[in-house]
Amino acid sequence: MLDSDNAAFIQTGVSISLAASGGDRLPSMSRGLGCKLVDGGRQVAVFIKPSQSEELLDNIRRSSRVANVFSLPSSNRTLQLKGLDARIQPFEVADLPIIKAHIADFVAEVLPLGLPEEVVRTLFAYTVDDLVMVVYTPVAAFSQTPGPKAGEALDAKP
Amino acid sequence: MSIRLETIRECFEGIIPGHIATSDTEGIPNLAYLSQVQFVDNTHVALSYQFFNRTRQNILADSPVRLLLTSHLTAAQYRLTLKYLRTETAGPLFEQMRAKLAGIASHTGMAGVFQLLGSDIYRILAIEQVAGPTIAPPPPPLNYLTALRRATNRLAGCTNLECLLETAIDCLVDEFGIEQLMLLMHDEGRGRLYTLASHGYPVSGIGSEIPVGAGVIGICARERCPIRIGFMTSEYAYGRSVRASIAADGHGDALESAIPLPGLPEAASQMAVPITAAGRLLGVLYVESLADLHFGYDEEDALVAFAALLGLAMLHHQQADDFADEPAASEEDSPPTGGPPLAVRHFAANDSIFLDDDYLIKGVAGAILWVLLTDFAERRRTSFTNKGLRVDPRIRLPGVSDNLEARLVLLQRRLEERDTGIRLSKTGRGRFTLAVNRPLTLLES
Repeated sequence: MLDSDNAAFIQTGVSISLAASGGDRLPSMSRGLGCKLVDGGRQVAVFIKPSQSEELLDNIRRSSRVANVFSLPSSNRTLQLKGLDARIQPFEVADLPIIKAHIADFVAEVLPLGLPEEVVRTLFAYTVDDLVMVVYTPVAAFSQTPGPKAGEALDAKP
Repeated sequence: MSIRLETIRECFEGIIPGHIATSDTEGIPNLAYLSQVQFVDNTHVALSYQFFNRTRQNILADSPVRLLLTSHLTAAQYRLTLKYLRTETAGPLFEQMRAKLAGIASHTGMAGVFQLLGSDIYRILAIEQVAGPTIAPPPPPLNYLTALRRATNRLAGCTNLECLLETAIDCLVDEFGIEQLMLLMHDEGRGRLYTLASHGYPVSGIGSEIPVGAGVIGICARERCPIRIGFMTSEYAYGRSVRASIAADGHGDALESAIPLPGLPEAASQMAVPITAAGRLLGVLYVESLADLHFGYDEEDALVAFAALLGLAMLHHQQADDFADEPAASEEDSPPTGGPPLAVRHFAANDSIFLDDDYLIKGVAGAILWVLLTDFAERRRTSFTNKGLRVDPRIRLPGVSDNLEARLVLLQRRLEERDTGIRLSKTGRGRFTLAVNRPLTLLES
């Protein structure tokens, strides 16, 4: 589902948001602190703070269905992935460098746009005991870069 | 304690874009980024509808809506639960959002891509602050409530329109810290706004005009709502808007732009606030800055309140001047005039006045000046009253709603700027004198 270009894109200094809906269709969402590919690139794992995401995680446990958006502030390039098999896994300390690198990349991305670094670092402040990983297989991908092609489904490419 | 929407409006400016989540009828979630959130009131917001996308389909299929908004000042995040109510495709809210979006589009390289199709209005069902650390916001540039209190006191001390205008400009500069501003009055009969006062520009532009509906100022006048843009956009640059509007109107003549509008050619932030009273549009207050996002919701609130006060005071002084008693008719001895004669030419078609071939003024103010100078030339008359002008058949005022006193201030200021030996001065409520220190040659064309 995810070609190599998009696979690389979601691991740059993008803004990440993950959503899942409740039984009443009411969605909830949280910011992701980075992501990685697992299962030979077939699955995406997004790092989430449970303290901010009680409702989101409940919805994932209930439905396993997620929407995940990645957007690069400097270019507006935006990609949405959808998954139907999301599950919550414990955070592995070995993945800490991914989060650290993601925050550094994001800071480098938004500082030229005028956002104060202290605000960005506060937004992404975390503790290791307040992290989980949401893992899913993308089954649909959509370009949401603003413009006439926004919302178009992307063809699956190996 | 529940969070009031008005206290988190910094999240709406799009500095950190908001996220919107919806679900389709099967419960599949969808996420998208928001370019703007518009504060409507404490229980309603409006979101821009720009593309018919999945979010739009879900909303029309009655999806509950969640927003995730982030403060660029404190890093606080808020989740808002919304219910879609309706879409507006015209009117004040739509125009407010369309103008703001033009700025955002231009700033983000999306000019021509972002286009407002509608303003989707939502009711706020819940606001929840997301757990997490925050930082103290930087102190605001000034306390707008204090500024408003001080400005209120200062305006209350004015006894006529001229003082009110001067004090209003001083208050905006001293109390509100505004560096570039214009005050324009509404000419109801002609659908124009004319600049009566300005501050912070190399030339005052007094007497310059802008059609109702053109640019930030004209749209503010037409919709009678504040229009605020945070980034430079050619779409709302007034030079271009004015020219296009005059051309489209078909009523324009060469004099329409004889006096250039003052203004910053590179303004990034622009805000226009209507001055209304008793259900009428009296004028527009316009402020601008070279800095991005210089004016926010708090500045808008403060200026809207200030403009409301100013409008009531203007209306009061206009009426007081109009109904002041006629003074005993006495033709005073005017001082002898000397020097080379000044040629004053009047074109009856548009009541324009030229002094020695230089354009001075037209319209109602031109008609007034011609009457004053004719009376002076024929009878050496120098004392006049607003009441007398209002009933003078030669002037043809549009009606009692016309702000005659503002026209007189405009005329007085144009004459002062041109310094050609003709002066008008207030001598009391609704009274003024004409002073001419050069021989005049009146030419009717």
